[in-house]
Amino acid sequence: MKAVRFIAIAVLLITAFVVLFANYLAPAGYEQQFRDLPQAGPSLHHPLGTDDLGRDCWARLLFGMRVSLTLAPLAAFFTTVLAGLVGGIAGYCGGWIERCCKLLIDFFLSVPWLFLLITVRAVLPLNISPQASVTVTFILLGLLGWAASARIICSGAKDLMKSEFVWMARAAGFSGFKLIRLHLLPNLKGALFAQFWISIPVFIIAEANLGALGLGVAEPLPSLGSLLRELQDAITLRLEPWRLLPLAVLIVVISSFQVLLNKQEVRV
Amino acid sequence: MRRLHLLSAMLLLGCTTLLAQAGGELRFCLRAEPKTFNPLLVEDDASETIRYLTGGVLVRINRITLKPQPELASEWKVSEGGKHIRFKLREGLKYSDGTPFSAADVAYTMSQLMDPALHSSTGDAFRSGEGKVETRVISPSVVEISFPAPVANLVDLFDTVAIMSAKSPQKEMAALGPFYVAERKAGSYILLKRNPYYWKKDSTGKQLPYLDSVRLEIEQNPEIEAMRYKRGEVQLINTVSPAIFEKLSSDSASVRDAGASTDTEQLWFNQVPSAPIPAYKLAWFTSTNFRRAISEAINRADLARIVYHGHAAPAIGIVSPSNKFWFNSNLKPHPYDTASALHRLQQDGFRLQGDTLRDKSGNAVEFSVVTNAGNRSRESMATMIQEDLKKIGIKVNVVALDFNSLLERMTQSFNYEACLLGLQNVDLDPNAQMAVWLSSADNHQWNPRQKSPATAWEAEIDKLMKAQASSGDEHKRKQYWDRVQQIAWDQEPFIYLINKDALVAISPEVKNSEPSVFRPQTFWNVETLALAKAR
Amino acid sequence: MLRFLSGAVLRLAALMLMVSFAGAMLMRIAPGFTSDDQELNPTLSAQSIQAIRQARLADANIPRFYAQYLVSLAKGDFGTSSSLNQPVKELLRERLPVTLSNLAFALAIGWLLGLALAIATQVLHWRAFSFLANGLSGTFISTPAAALALIFLLLRLPPAFAAALLVFPKIYRYTENLLQQSAEMPHVLTARAKGAGPLRVLAWHVAPIALPQLIALVGVSISIGIGVLLPIEVISDVAGIGQLAWQAAEARDLPLLINLTMIVTFVTVCATLISDGAQRGFTRSEA
Repeated sequence: MKAVRFIAIAVLLITAFVVLFANYLAPAGYEQQFRDLPQAGPSLHHPLGTDDLGRDCWARLLFGMRVSLTLAPLAAFFTTVLAGLVGGIAGYCGGWIERCCKLLIDFFLSVPWLFLLITVRAVLPLNISPQASVTVTFILLGLLGWAASARIICSGAKDLMKSEFVWMARAAGFSGFKLIRLHLLPNLKGALFAQFWISIPVFIIAEANLGALGLGVAEPLPSLGSLLRELQDAITLRLEPWRLLPLAVLIVVISSFQVLLNKQEVRV
Repeated sequence: MRRLHLLSAMLLLGCTTLLAQAGGELRFCLRAEPKTFNPLLVEDDASETIRYLTGGVLVRINRITLKPQPELASEWKVSEGGKHIRFKLREGLKYSDGTPFSAADVAYTMSQLMDPALHSSTGDAFRSGEGKVETRVISPSVVEISFPAPVANLVDLFDTVAIMSAKSPQKEMAALGPFYVAERKAGSYILLKRNPYYWKKDSTGKQLPYLDSVRLEIEQNPEIEAMRYKRGEVQLINTVSPAIFEKLSSDSASVRDAGASTDTEQLWFNQVPSAPIPAYKLAWFTSTNFRRAISEAINRADLARIVYHGHAAPAIGIVSPSNKFWFNSNLKPHPYDTASALHRLQQDGFRLQGDTLRDKSGNAVEFSVVTNAGNRSRESMATMIQEDLKKIGIKVNVVALDFNSLLERMTQSFNYEACLLGLQNVDLDPNAQMAVWLSSADNHQWNPRQKSPATAWEAEIDKLMKAQASSGDEHKRKQYWDRVQQIAWDQEPFIYLINKDALVAISPEVKNSEPSVFRPQTFWNVETLALAKAR
Repeated sequence: MLRFLSGAVLRLAALMLMVSFAGAMLMRIAPGFTSDDQELNPTLSAQSIQAIRQARLADANIPRFYAQYLVSLAKGDFGTSSSLNQPVKELLRERLPVTLSNLAFALAIGWLLGLALAIATQVLHWRAFSFLANGLSGTFISTPAAALALIFLLLRLPPAFAAALLVFPKIYRYTENLLQQSAEMPHVLTARAKGAGPLRVLAWHVAPIALPQLIALVGVSISIGIGVLLPIEVISDVAGIGQLAWQAAEARDLPLLINLTMIVTFVTVCATLISDGAQRGFTRSEA
């Protein structure tokens, strides 16, 4: 398992390096169109070939990783914090507060937030930069996506409130924020981490799907999500293995996160 | 022995022909659920397909020759330049439920169609002026229709008027066309069966259509449609995207490029005076030099080659060259010339400072181009235009919006700077574009609903469009329309980008197919289509 | 029990009303509500375009529309879809069973797979197995629904399989973490130290601790399942309510949207109420 963790750390470090130094590692700008070479296969000048408009796929992958792997964890962080907050308060307080929180959770789970996203896009200036636009999209996803896990956190918190050590802590005078910080949160870490790392790919893909409604990243800026949208063509039109690399990168990075966030295995 | 061989060959040929013409079910896809089965209210493609396959019309435009052919009407006579039309109808015809057809049905249909409360594009096409449309039943097989003012291209308009029965209990579902709607599963398919009372016969006297039925599968995803076509689950694809065309053509020989269609893709700038955009930008957009410069800076050849995989041609103007009669052949393609573009901009006081173009007040030239999200070709074109204009120091922001949001900006709030959209030209006649070129019209996209023409050239276009609409002389109309095309070419309120080709897929088992560039491309002659193997 | 049930029904009704009203309001304020693509038809006259705009504006007052809708709903009339020109009741009758059966299938397979992998990871303690399970769930959670749906179409397999593969990673992740956490409890360690086998430890000591949260996950998994299935239905052109929902969103079809929102809310809230009830029952019997 140590070897696996070592590999996971190496993968994440390489990813971080690539994300930081994409400007230097990319053979060309992500927007540069080599119009004589659209849909070209891998070559010395274009290691992953080119896309429909002749743009270097390797460059677009590097910059796409920068966008998605910076913003998706940010959105996932918002989601996790909100889930922890609402779920934790509901579980800790119980009673009518819990009922209100659950009502809020069900409300958030059921409302079609798509129209809010469309409205926000409409309110943003048309000449907003693609970077700002995609940041706003991810932040919104983060602020709206917490409800599902809040329920689980609430259930976990409620359960913990009945546990012996919490009873003992309360008997010892712990309450409120101190109780939550010292006793509830550490024991809810597992669920919170699970929520965090699940949310990252979910938000990356959600951003891609929102592109169909004009809510994703704007051209020419790439994101992992917009590159994943092109998988449809790869599957149905031309099965060129190198076009699956964005998917492979996402899987490897997410899996590496998971390996690091998992607790040590219990050895008997 | 030789006679025996000859006899065998003739028998074989006869059997093959018989086999090719013996029933079967044709299958193809609709991209959406039809919104209506009422032929008078058709506005969407799926409903139009149903109307074409089931509706009986007085006159049918042959999609190859573009000449009107007698259908339910065996002959007709137009008088007073399109103010009156008299039809002599075929006798003894029946609807799919056995209800007899007569002139009363034509009168009924016209009264429904011209009802002011109906609001359909089919009916609106006949509205030539104030006043009522009168239909007179002279005999069971003769009917005369009179309009308050002459209607341009009158005969051709009846290609879209499916005659409804005044008496049938099935109402609009009673069909005079080759098929009728037999079965429908919402979201899944519509089954059309052969109309047992269809009046047409082939040259050997065999009743048409050859096909027993047509099954229309509801399939929104073009990639899935292509997959199903490859598997043989459907036999036609009426509109194939260039990417799918390339894929299918590498796998089989059953795709065809029917040639340049009449559809256009264009870019235009917002010139609405009250638009919520900065005044200096409005000044750019209303300058002819600016628009001509942008046009010259766009590499149309690259758009056609890369986005459409060569299945498109740089557009010249309003009318596609495939619309042979109405196209102004004196017009030449706009050149791709960045030096000339910069020169034009300099004439308007623009200057290139480093990599940035600035206007005479020092504002960096930057604007957004909105287009509809989900349309990959348009998004790609917008991205390529972004790159083209970067070379002359202009920053373009591509904004893909969902269609309704885009529509609201274009038609109500006017909160946009430039827009990239396309126009489907179903009707070749210039009269069909009145609502685009009249300055007071709603579809005068760059500056709609003007109280009076904002520019001299728009005033001239107004005069020319009204003149061609009221003239019965086709050659005079052609002259007026040529002049409109010239003005549009000079002023470029629309920067026409490309004319895409009509790409279709027709399975080899479909016989007698003759794809056209005009809708419906693959099944315009559905009554004579046959399957090599009956299913 | 009665108190719980009456509270649950009230909560369900309140949520259905609030959520559908909120959805309608969001649709109304979003741009494009009063737009119709027919306006771009150059053969339509100015009067016709005006009439189309007026027709769209007729539904613009949401509180009034909603009140009228509720009155009709009480009479069994779900309204008429403005984009499909069909009664919403007919549309739902045809499409709801398709979605519900796909959802049931997807959840059944998703839970089976997720639970089986999580339990196996806990019981076997094989690093390789754990690594593979993590890799598998990581793969599917990172794969876009569109791509997976297309792969299954190519393989001529039901799209519900794709939904199952997208649901199971979340079930697996939460379950695996829950079981892992529960396995680290002192009493579990004691049981192990006393020689209890892995299956016995799992069944008697770990599962009871993890069960309440797992039950909570059941309710959540239904909303996860719907969230995953609806886009798959759109992509695979399955004639379920996913397609209808997309249609309603694109065309700003208010009657359709309100009804679909109510249905989704009903299913989601019922699922969470059932899991809440089961949790209560479990904890009561434990006490």
